Amino acid sequence: MAAKGWINGDESAAEMLARVSKERPFLLLPPLHRVPLRVGNVVELVGPSSSAKTQILIQAAVNCILPTEWNGVHYGGLERLVMFIDLDCRFDILRLSEMLKHRIMEPIGSMCNYEELYAVCMRRFLYVRCYDSLEFLATLKTLHHRLQKETKVLHVEIQLLMIDRKCISLQSISDTVVQEIRKLLLVHPMLVIATKEIMLGKVYAVDEAKQNKYLLEASDVRSITSSIQRLPYREFMPSVWQFREHGMQSPPYFMNSHGARNKCLPVLWSWIDLGCAKPPRSLNWKIAVGCLE
Amino acid sequence: MAPLKALELAYPIFDSNFQTFCASHGILSVEDFLIHDVYELAAFADQQPTSEKLKQGITQIFSIIDAQHQPWLNGLELLDDALQKKHVFSTGCEGIDLLLGGGLRAGQLTELVGPSSSGKTQVCLLAASYLVSKNMGTVVYLDTGNSFSSQRIAQFVGRISNCMFDQAGQRIFQKVMNNILCYSVFDIFSMFNVLHRLEINLQSQKGEQVRLLIIDSISSLITPIIGNSGSQGRALMASAGYLLKKLAQEHNLVVLVTNHTVGGERGIPKPALGQTWKSVPHVRLLLSGDHGNNIRSISVLKHPSMASGKVASFTI
Repeated sequence: MAAKGWINGDESAAEMLARVSKERPFLLLPPLHRVPLRVGNVVELVGPSSSAKTQILIQAAVNCILPTEWNGVHYGGLERLVMFIDLDCRFDILRLSEMLKHRIMEPIGSMCNYEELYAVCMRRFLYVRCYDSLEFLATLKTLHHRLQKETKVLHVEIQLLMIDRKCISLQSISDTVVQEIRKLLLVHPMLVIATKEIMLGKVYAVDEAKQNKYLLEASDVRSITSSIQRLPYREFMPSVWQFREHGMQSPPYFMNSHGARNKCLPVLWSWIDLGCAKPPRSLNWKIAVGCLE
Repeated sequence: MAPLKALELAYPIFDSNFQTFCASHGILSVEDFLIHDVYELAAFADQQPTSEKLKQGITQIFSIIDAQHQPWLNGLELLDDALQKKHVFSTGCEGIDLLLGGGLRAGQLTELVGPSSSGKTQVCLLAASYLVSKNMGTVVYLDTGNSFSSQRIAQFVGRISNCMFDQAGQRIFQKVMNNILCYSVFDIFSMFNVLHRLEINLQSQKGEQVRLLIIDSISSLITPIIGNSGSQGRALMASAGYLLKKLAQEHNLVVLVTNHTVGGERGIPKPALGQTWKSVPHVRLLLSGDHGNNIRSISVLKHPSMASGKVASFTI
């Protein structure tokens, strides 16, 4: 009987597609809306210093905490919780607040009567600062309980977990961090976005010999094949961060090829690795990171 | 983090039975708990005869772990903290204040970068003098190169508060000068010593008037310990950065450090201490000056809410 049931299968492809797209729908989260992301994905934003990594996190967070509609005004947000784990202690709440106000005022022109919406949105943004790896681990361990509590109070589910700047730590700690994130994803379907700073090859261009030495020494030098250029970069993080060894869905990698010295210029971002998803038609696209002033 | 044995007094639930159970899984301290899979441990506890008590112990450890990290804040609380407690302090130098939109912000680590004789120490001394002259709090000054000059401070203070050199003026002057605490530190370990003592004082609210922490210069403490071999030096550098940021954030201090420059690509000077340190300061300002005149220029290399590249000039 059991064997027959096994041969018959659990569900048809159509049923599975319907179930998956209901359970883990695509997340269209500007400025990452060009990318087919789903809940349960782990996305890593990779780029050199001052390439607008945190800016992208903030934009995505604002889109996540805004409601779809409020008093008949369309905002197109997700109306979900965002949790931001700051390992860098450099997050500026004023930037998020300014951007949120700007988004709220855009369609209506003034802020009057919208303080309530502003406050509701701000409450959906949760933030924690970690000064060392063990604090980070303690945060992850207790995140499940914390989430249950918040969900009860605010009546919204979490959709986005952001980790700004993964830091280098001991092997056993990073192992556990990866496992904890994996376990959390099982219980709370959400999108994880982590940023990581890298040094591009050109940093070493100071002298060729030195560069070659570095590249040989670095055990996990990877070469990124993008449609326009190959950029060697040195991987800072131990290999366990490249979740795929652990059978986790491989993270789509993004990186940008030019640091934005001047913040008003658009930044070119490109795919590195998309795991199982089908890559979009264009591999590179620009994200305008406007100044708020 | 404490070993379980030490916690037995405070939490009787961690009895010898619980300790043996944990030790059999290689867990001797709360730290070990963080690294272990607690759900797996709970499953093992189920098979034990005293599973109820063991599970209570594990729940207790969860609540200890929960207190180990900083509290979660929502956006409104965070904004409130930023607006109420993270004030902006003027440096006493108009050009710099205009460039930074008011001055140095509490909670942030500001770094002054520049070649020698570009005015880094002068800006530090001026900022310290201005803050104490305006009675905004006290200053802790870590001097690593014997470059602290009390005469220069006295000059600045005299200029800012228009002190008369009579009896009453002297008394005010002395009170102001008493509010700058200078420590001479010559290696990174004595810096950690001073900073840890400061942290303890701040936590016990003994030193709550401290508003500004200056380290002139941090690069002369860190450069000797980062060499080509070994990563201990880098680890010390990273923990120094985190300690400074923690002090700034938790106790609403302005932290001002100075850094020298080294020759970079094609001889263009760049800040010392490399890529790892680059991500530590919130604000990075480049000072430069001509020999022969007093006009210095300052430009923004990095700022959390400002486009980099803005330039201003100032005189001291």
